[in-house]
Amino acid sequence: MTLDETAPPPTEEPLLDLNLLKDIGQKALVDALNSVNGAKTLVLDASLAGPLGLVIEVSLLKHHGVDKMFWLEPGPLTSTTPNVVYLCRPMIKYVKIIAEQIKRHAREAQKHTYTLLLVPRISTLVTRILEEEGVLGDVRISSYNLQFIPIADDVVSLENDNAFKELWVDGDETVIYDSAQALHSLQKLYGSFPRIVGKGDHAARLATLLTKHLPSDSSTPDALQAESEKIDSLIVLDRRVDMITPLLTQLTYEGLTDELIGIKNSHVELPVSLLTPPPPIGTATPSATPAAAASTSLKKVEPKKKHHLTTTTDPLFAELRDLNFSSVGKRLNRGRHQAKTVAQLRDFVGKLGGLQTEHQSLRLHTGLSELLVPMTHTEQFNKTLEIQQNLLASYEITAQISAIEDLIAQGADLSTVVRLLCLASITCGGVKLKALENLKREILQAYGYNYLPLLLSLASPSLAVLLPNPLPAASPASLAAAKYPFVPLRKALRLLIDDSPEAIDEVENDISFVYSGWAPISVRLVQCVAQKGGVLSNPAEREKAAAASADGTAQHSPIKAQAHPIAGWRGFEDVVATIPGETVDIVQTGGALTAPVASLLRPMQKPTTTVVFFLGGCTYTEIAALRWVGRQNRGRKFLIATTGIVNGNSIIESISGVARSAGSKDAAI
Amino acid sequence: MSAAERPSSRWQIMQDGKTFYKRQQLYSIPGKLPHLSDYIVAGCRHGGPIALMRDHTKLVALGRTTSAMTRAQIQVYSPAGDGLLLFSWDQGKIIRFGWTADERLAILNEEGTYRLYDLQGDYQQHSLGNEAGEMGVIDARIHDNGLVALTGSLTLLEVKGWEGSRPLTLASAGLSQPPSSWAIIPPDLNISRHVEVLLSVDSTIFSVDNLECIDQRLSQGPFTHVSPSPNGKSLALLTFAGTLLVVSSDFQRTLAEYKTAEVAGAVGPVNQVEWCGIDAILVTWDNLVVVVGPFGDTLEYSYSGPTFAVTEPDGVRIIGPDVCDLIQKVPSCSTSIFRPGSTSASAILYDAWESFSQRSPKADENIRSIRPELATAVDECIEAAGQEWEPYWQRRLLNAAKFGRGFLDLHNPTDFINMGQTLKVLNAVRFYEIGVPLTYLQYIHASPSHLITRLTARNMHLLALRISTYLSIKPDAVLKHWASAKIMRSRPTATGSGADADLGGDEDVCKLIVDKFEQLGGADVSYAEIAKRAWDVGRRGLATKLLDHEPRASDQVPLLLSMQEDRLALVKAVDSGDTDLVYHVLLHLHKRLPLGSFFRLIEDGGSQLAPASKLLQVYAREQNREMLRDFFYSDDRRVESAVLSLEEAAGILDPASKIAAVRAAQKFFSEDKDRAFESKMMDESARLLAFQQQLEKEADGKIVFFGLSVNDTIRTCLVNGMAKRADKVKSDFKVPDKRFWFVKMQALISSSDFESLDTFSRSKRSPIGYEPFVRYLVDAGHPKEAIPYIARCDSPKRADLYVDCGEWRSAGKECKERGDKNKLEMIRGRCPNSLIARELDQILASMK
Repeated sequence: MTLDETAPPPTEEPLLDLNLLKDIGQKALVDALNSVNGAKTLVLDASLAGPLGLVIEVSLLKHHGVDKMFWLEPGPLTSTTPNVVYLCRPMIKYVKIIAEQIKRHAREAQKHTYTLLLVPRISTLVTRILEEEGVLGDVRISSYNLQFIPIADDVVSLENDNAFKELWVDGDETVIYDSAQALHSLQKLYGSFPRIVGKGDHAARLATLLTKHLPSDSSTPDALQAESEKIDSLIVLDRRVDMITPLLTQLTYEGLTDELIGIKNSHVELPVSLLTPPPPIGTATPSATPAAAASTSLKKVEPKKKHHLTTTTDPLFAELRDLNFSSVGKRLNRGRHQAKTVAQLRDFVGKLGGLQTEHQSLRLHTGLSELLVPMTHTEQFNKTLEIQQNLLASYEITAQISAIEDLIAQGADLSTVVRLLCLASITCGGVKLKALENLKREILQAYGYNYLPLLLSLASPSLAVLLPNPLPAASPASLAAAKYPFVPLRKALRLLIDDSPEAIDEVENDISFVYSGWAPISVRLVQCVAQKGGVLSNPAEREKAAAASADGTAQHSPIKAQAHPIAGWRGFEDVVATIPGETVDIVQTGGALTAPVASLLRPMQKPTTTVVFFLGGCTYTEIAALRWVGRQNRGRKFLIATTGIVNGNSIIESISGVARSAGSKDAAI
Repeated sequence: MSAAERPSSRWQIMQDGKTFYKRQQLYSIPGKLPHLSDYIVAGCRHGGPIALMRDHTKLVALGRTTSAMTRAQIQVYSPAGDGLLLFSWDQGKIIRFGWTADERLAILNEEGTYRLYDLQGDYQQHSLGNEAGEMGVIDARIHDNGLVALTGSLTLLEVKGWEGSRPLTLASAGLSQPPSSWAIIPPDLNISRHVEVLLSVDSTIFSVDNLECIDQRLSQGPFTHVSPSPNGKSLALLTFAGTLLVVSSDFQRTLAEYKTAEVAGAVGPVNQVEWCGIDAILVTWDNLVVVVGPFGDTLEYSYSGPTFAVTEPDGVRIIGPDVCDLIQKVPSCSTSIFRPGSTSASAILYDAWESFSQRSPKADENIRSIRPELATAVDECIEAAGQEWEPYWQRRLLNAAKFGRGFLDLHNPTDFINMGQTLKVLNAVRFYEIGVPLTYLQYIHASPSHLITRLTARNMHLLALRISTYLSIKPDAVLKHWASAKIMRSRPTATGSGADADLGGDEDVCKLIVDKFEQLGGADVSYAEIAKRAWDVGRRGLATKLLDHEPRASDQVPLLLSMQEDRLALVKAVDSGDTDLVYHVLLHLHKRLPLGSFFRLIEDGGSQLAPASKLLQVYAREQNREMLRDFFYSDDRRVESAVLSLEEAAGILDPASKIAAVRAAQKFFSEDKDRAFESKMMDESARLLAFQQQLEKEADGKIVFFGLSVNDTIRTCLVNGMAKRADKVKSDFKVPDKRFWFVKMQALISSSDFESLDTFSRSKRSPIGYEPFVRYLVDAGHPKEAIPYIARCDSPKRADLYVDCGEWRSAGKECKERGDKNKLEMIRGRCPNSLIARELDQILASMK
């Protein structure tokens, strides 16, 4: 009954020890807290709670003098401790709340010592606003430099939810600067990136900051001068380079969970019954009701609880997270006899009882997929997928537009509709003006006129994902330049894989498995740099041909191609040039000029890591696809770094400014 | 030279017979210092200078004094007795002065103002704040990285660091009168890492930090002296009766007790109680200095006049009328070599080398006898060399070590080389003209770069540069200081020289500095800081020239701002990518410039300043909407103005003003000919709001309509039985049939108005078909109501729809009618119980 027998063994250790980052984050916070003597009340910006929870435990905070914790919310603050420590991002709204609370304390003659810890650094803006509010003198301002947080053993994230909106809607480039700082810290830890390759205007800006402005820091240790031995390059992609990927519905297990239930800072809210072990068999078994009925009632009645999706305590999740959802049931089913449907499986597992973690995690994932299955069976969901696939294939565009209109009529989610509409605009090079205005009008009427700014933002030159075709004559030149060469790109990068779904079930033979037949452009671009063969044809297929005896298990075939050294965009310059945005290829000389040549010729004997940074966020599917790419070659691992995890909904919501209401109110991290 | 007496000849032995102390004369300074007892003195650690101020409580014999005695004056002398600095004090009465870790003199006056003087006489001024100013400061203690002041209201204020941070009030000790004496334990010596204040009150001691005040419940007090040891672990307390108590700093144990009154030859009151190392205490009288060991053993030293003692990490420095001495415990490595009769390996090694240099065969014999311990003996000789003051003995000990090394197969020479280098540096700075009597331990303790800074602070750039080159330290710090000093020196004379002469001067000085930097490899020196210095002394031209050489934009910006090079500052800030820097410039300019020219500056910047413009919008949107409105308006940005107006509308509750805001947005859109669509939409929006107002009136304000979307308005009308109004919305806003049908259907289902639903479904041919009716009814939990609609759906879907409604039999019939056996078998496979299964089987059978 052992579960891990058939699991693909996570044999190769990740090359970089990411726990180091966690330790640094933890220590920095502890130091910041210890700088304030005595018991303190911690007031926390809610958007930081998630990221902080990944770095530090509440018990540790208590250990360092944190007496009580509150959310940073408008309204009075009752503190019994002499010290009040505010921990927040330097956002104006937070500072105003803080100023208000301090003024209130002053009126009520409460005496506290205030410390403001800003994440990730001190801001002049904050000082100025505190000054304008007249409380600057009462607050000691310091910083807590929280940078990359490891959210998986190969993914680090800044966990900044608003990065996309700030960059492409507000034009606020703070994220680029913070990212450059964070990447710079990585360089300090692991040595400098020998080569920086990138695509996109903001990516270029980031590369410039990283190479020109930061290293002249005179206090940097010599380690930084040295080229990294563990990292062979940094690939920077800004989200604008590939807007299609987040607009599509993610079809991997983790991606779909994010789409349909929502994963926030690696936590997903699940019904409590899924998270607690079932009652022992001896007691009455109330689960006699049919599974379907049970699951619907679960959704409505049961209280929910946050669960941390992590592979460290849940090895099964490591196996499942990147699978196409269609294969998840099969995997959960593997080795089980009678259990055919997930419902039957659930009963089967329930009978096993027991408290072992394997069973618990099997139970959890069975339950979770059971929650997802009905959602994937709705007409709307399938219609959405159909429209997406047709648009990607440029099939009967007019019909797709009217299908989107139907979805509006049926009252589908705003984000679903807007995602499809943007997808249509990008793939077709714009929507016919009349149809577009009609659709916009439909949206405004159905969801409210207050969404007009959202539509305007999407059409603005910086984003340009919702455009009329042809463009009006008066539109700025930048709009025309931002037009996405979708059709040629689809061919050049082999984006649309004509595979029957059955074939995908059998073997994950291309990164396109994450969207059941569509390869994310961003990951193809990474392949253009780090696995050139994979762009043109399937390494997996070749591999299959070579090792004819590839059996069903996920055993790695012994002959795996050796990863080639990084040589920039070579071979794909023309394709890459057609994509709007600057192209970056910088060789960072580690002192000597011979370095680039050496690195080009360096035989790839030593295993190396390629860092892929997504400026503006990445999706779970992209992570899954990159992991797949990493598995195809020997000698190269990917470290995925991102400003945060996004999906189409979160992007649309952040732009429209109407966030999904944060559920829990408890001030626990 | 060989006749030179061995170092041990100057050692004194404690009564216990084990510990040796030595008094090393550092400098002979007869007549260089004034009579110390007339002065208040503060000494700087690590062989630093002393500062003197006339003590006005003491009488002065007329005639001996100089004329300037009437005004407060501070004199600073090097340990070698050279005057380093002399300045007069024109502020309020000085309460206390002391030295910071970076050898600056901190002077605090009774008004709570403190200044930090460097050795060139330049100062920065900070204040303890209003409260301290009003109450007055009556006393203070200054440590390396901050100070604690006692105000007139007997509260304690702590200042951390020397950047002028706001003082923190420490816990109240509830004093009614000033303590008889007090001291602080600096934060870096405390377990809590926060400063601790010890107040001698009545017979006890209060220890105070920022959280609490603890009465330590002593009974021997009050105390005249409270002195914490250099490591902060013990305290020396001197009672009025002259009893010296040594206690651990947590007051748990009394370590020693000693009656100073019994010291023969002690005249008058005790001047100072200082620590010598961590286990001995130095008590000084006017002509006498007594070292009290851990077990009450004493050593006496007499001086010809009043002395001043400065505790060092490894001993205590005594400045007397004629000499500057260092009293310290003899380190174990020295004892082991030079102690009379020592038979340690290192002593024998040293002996062997002496024999060798006298060509005596004893050398070989000696070396053989210590073969196994030779390596340690060599190390010990190297270490002992570091402890010797005389180069003669340093050289001898190093020679001995070198001799011993020759007999070793493998020995890491790093220590040997480092010691040689270090001693060379130390001997250089100990030279009386330099006057930094640094011991080896202090040098290691404070780091070589600290020494370099100290030398540059004395304007000894050449020596500093040579030392840093010798030790392979980057010369940046020296160069920077040198350049600043250069600029200060070449201050243009206020009168005379014309503009041309000035310019030429700028060119020369700039070239001089840049050339020197490039020549000496000071690539990392910040030109901005030097340029700042030039700007500070009023040399704008020079500052601009120097700034051109600064590679880091972030360093250029603040100076450019103060030079009012606004546009350049903004461009550089944007280039740096540091948004905070951009904000810094923007906020600064917003404050300084008239709004119009501020906007013009940003607008004229074009795409280069676009990020700055965006940041300004982000800031203004939250904090200063009025300004943002003006900004958009002045730049004719209609769309942005409209969006801003809409954002405001979203926050307005009052219906009339909300409609007005939407109308305003519409007007903005209408002014842009490409925004006809948006304008139309806003017109609709305003109309809808007006209509909703009317609807609310009709519903007597019981139903909320205002602010809903078109769909929701229709829905709300229907749910509340206002079907006619719903139709009016449909026609007024040209809602397409399909959408209207969905909305109406859902509304009727949600209010369980199945009758109206039926009527509605028959009102005309459904534009959305009838399948949605079934699906929505089933989803809403009304499968029974859904059944009638199934018959109106497309026939191929009916069977599945029946199943969804739980009508297995009808599903079976449907299949039979269509002759769809496969479907029926599929349905059979899904059926929930045997009863239905049997029925379905029957139908299946009948189809054969």
